[in-house]
Amino acid sequence: MSNLKYSYYPGCSLHASATEYDISTREVCTALGIELQEIPDWICCGATPAHNVDELLSLSLSAKNLELAEQVPGDMAVSCASCFSRLKFTQHILGKSETKLKLVEKAIDGPVHLERRVKHLLEILARDYGLDKLAADVRKPLSDITVACYYGCLLTRPTDVPNLDCTEAPTIMESIVETVGGTTVPWTHRLECCGANFTLSRPPVVQQLSNAVLESAKNAGADCIVVACPLCHGNLDIRQKEIESIYGSSYGLPIFYITQLVGLALGIPPERLGLDSLCVSPQNLLKEKKLIQGA
Amino acid sequence: MSRIGVFICHCGENISRTVDVERVASQASLMAGVAFSTDYKYMCSDPGQTLVKKAIAEHNLTHVVVAACSPRMHERTFRKAAEQAGLNPYLCEMANIREHCSWVHENREEATQKAIEIVGMLIERVKKNRILPTITVPVTKRALVIGGGIAGIQAALDVADCGHQVVLVEREPSIGGHMAQLSETFPTLDCSQCIMTPKMVDLANHPNITLHTYSEIEQVDGYIGNFQVTIRKKARSVDEHKCTGCGICITKCPQKKIPNIFDCNIGMRTAIYVPFPQAVPNVPVIDRENCTMFKSGKCGVCQKVCGPGAIDFTQEDILITEPVGAIIVATGFELYTITEKAKGSPIKGYGEFGHGKIPDVIDGMTFERLASASGPTGGKILRPSDGKEPKQVVFIQCVGSRSREKGISYCSKVCCMYTAKHTMLYHHKVHDGQAYVFFMDARVPGKSYDEFWRRSIEEEEAVYIRGMVSRLYQKGDKIVVMGSDIAVGVQVEIEADLVVLATAVQPQKGADLLAQKLGISYDKYNFYSEAHAKLRPVECATAGIYLAGACQGPKDIPDTVSQASAAAAKVMALFSKDRLEREPIVARVKEATCVGCFACKKVCAYGAVEEKEIRDRQGNLLKVIAYVNPGVCAGCGTCQATCPSKSVELDGYTDEQIVAMIEAL
Repeated sequence: MSNLKYSYYPGCSLHASATEYDISTREVCTALGIELQEIPDWICCGATPAHNVDELLSLSLSAKNLELAEQVPGDMAVSCASCFSRLKFTQHILGKSETKLKLVEKAIDGPVHLERRVKHLLEILARDYGLDKLAADVRKPLSDITVACYYGCLLTRPTDVPNLDCTEAPTIMESIVETVGGTTVPWTHRLECCGANFTLSRPPVVQQLSNAVLESAKNAGADCIVVACPLCHGNLDIRQKEIESIYGSSYGLPIFYITQLVGLALGIPPERLGLDSLCVSPQNLLKEKKLIQGA
Repeated sequence: MSRIGVFICHCGENISRTVDVERVASQASLMAGVAFSTDYKYMCSDPGQTLVKKAIAEHNLTHVVVAACSPRMHERTFRKAAEQAGLNPYLCEMANIREHCSWVHENREEATQKAIEIVGMLIERVKKNRILPTITVPVTKRALVIGGGIAGIQAALDVADCGHQVVLVEREPSIGGHMAQLSETFPTLDCSQCIMTPKMVDLANHPNITLHTYSEIEQVDGYIGNFQVTIRKKARSVDEHKCTGCGICITKCPQKKIPNIFDCNIGMRTAIYVPFPQAVPNVPVIDRENCTMFKSGKCGVCQKVCGPGAIDFTQEDILITEPVGAIIVATGFELYTITEKAKGSPIKGYGEFGHGKIPDVIDGMTFERLASASGPTGGKILRPSDGKEPKQVVFIQCVGSRSREKGISYCSKVCCMYTAKHTMLYHHKVHDGQAYVFFMDARVPGKSYDEFWRRSIEEEEAVYIRGMVSRLYQKGDKIVVMGSDIAVGVQVEIEADLVVLATAVQPQKGADLLAQKLGISYDKYNFYSEAHAKLRPVECATAGIYLAGACQGPKDIPDTVSQASAAAAKVMALFSKDRLEREPIVARVKEATCVGCFACKKVCAYGAVEEKEIRDRQGNLLKVIAYVNPGVCAGCGTCQATCPSKSVELDGYTDEQIVAMIEAL
């Protein structure tokens, strides 16, 4: 149990295609006594489209969310890698440019708050809550399960902005998975891009890039992949069957959100972690590893 | 009554662009005590100096103020001119209206006003200047050279050939440095050993050179012309005088599997070893960390087989002191490693290149050892992991260098050329192999350098790809190199057998600690700082200490040798006189008021304050007071600021002068 309190920013994906990430995030936090209070009236961060088209719009959307967060005490907790990146970028850019800061203040018709610490759920689990405490909370260690931790391109990059972990050789996700009893594998594509939002405009690009990620994880001997980004999840999970048919391969790799795996280890009932939303069913794997009951 | 001459310099346009120099001159002429005032475009030039000298004679000037650049730049120039005109040089002062005024201001009116005030302050100060006699100190005509690489060897030979004694201190068991590790050298591809080893022999046989290998600098005391250097001779466990260099101890040593640092850990060596067969001196050393005798007390094979009985397990480090007059620092460089760096280090490793965990990703020096006839593979290019001959080799330039995000923004200067050389050596040895080079720019200025680089492409078939590499990973027995070709605008993937990284040139580990012992300055990367980037490139700001080679900045062999000879020439100039003239800007103690609290002694960074006994005529001790040794004093003024009874005054910067300057404001 802990006294940690955060202002929670779920972001659009977690209210739509990635509801299972939202559900499992809340479940894990409740189980650990981490209080998440959702920021009232939060808006979309603009994600990739906004900052590609209009920098002012992109900065203003995140600045507005930072302003809204002022209503709720505590550091800002973010689960989505993209929202996390946009919020951190906004703080970084506006902290360096007085000119842009003035423009954004005008756009959101209010003050810009840059002081609030924005934290990804991974840092909250590994650092704020702490790995030692987390280890003590484990009820069902993820023994025998071999996990490929996938960071994608956004979580740690670029060098100076998110400051989540070492840019090119991060270990934070592995440290969490190992703390809850899982085995992690070294693999080559854990920081490569999955194709991201080209999933709608240029699917072949995504198929090619995501295939390379799946292939690398499979070759490394992983049973599954764990992610902390809704878009990565979508590309690797939803498109996996299609990729298998295009490339004539057979991966069958369940793609978990980090909170789903941690939730299982904490003994949260599987049905409360949104496991049924996954396209590549984890049922067989979890049964085999005795993490869920089954016939 | 003072008759002061004021000379305002335009410094081309450096000063006159922002400061109305004519107005400063005319305002100065109205100030009390000024007998003559004028301005000129380049006061430091011959006509400018002549102008100063003529004015001194014609107007019978008693003091001179030159308003120009920083005194660090030209104080000596104008004091010499004043002296030539018959004035005591210390009656000439400089008003800095360039660095302190024109360069840092934009508003002409305000800058002019400030320049007038600076000149006014100096006029008041110079009125209170005293005639100071020049101080002379004896010069010990022996030089210390720190570092036995090509820089140190060249400098030591030059000084020794001139007839002076030289003491050379080398940290490793042999001299030779990095150059001894190289295979062939650009731009002529002559073998490094063939041009290096004879120089090593010359040095060892030179009657004027004392060589201390496996030794380090422990402490440096004294000052220009009169240094006392304490050297730690590390325990070699082999008596240098008895050892004949037969090598039987090495042959018989049972510990044979110790990675050889000289071969970049590819080859193996024994616990008693010489770093390489051509080592100078050819006297082995026992690596006590890996020697069975030192670890368990059992073995001693080397001692049993040694005919002359040179093995001595009980040897201990000894400290020796050498008096020298000048020091040449030539400690060289080491290569950046891509492994994970310690916390707090501003330099980051390369996680995207595997943090040094992929065995066939090597650095340039390792490739040199692979290509060297005396290397662990006998000159065959074989990759470390499985000893196979690589058919596709990717060279990556600017690893660490020129990347601010990795902690180093400078260019390492030698990598473009040595990478071009590597592609040639590779092509000469593996005819069916293909070399690829990822590069940002080819920086190959130098005599015959561009031609050499072009040759690697046009005749030796190296494929140069302009772009950087984002990631390396192992795939089976290949290394996948993911990069970009920005000339074509495409992503490139090459499956390589061997990857060679041109990692950044950095100063040796501990360069900062040595600098602190020597009292010389260094930059944020720990490269040693020269006194002036253009005009005093081989001197340190600390008098009597000179720089040679890569310890001052990345340098290739031709530049290093030139700089080493230049440093040697500076030392010879110093040794050309029996006594050395020193600026008399030193602190003096007023004996009447000093109470002997020795607060000054505690703060003096140069150890210049001594204790002096004051006795009456009968020899009874009256008091013990401070005495500043003018030979040692550096004129920093810390003692003056510290003295509670105001009993120390720095000549040229007395309290009276400082107050006069403030009152002139």
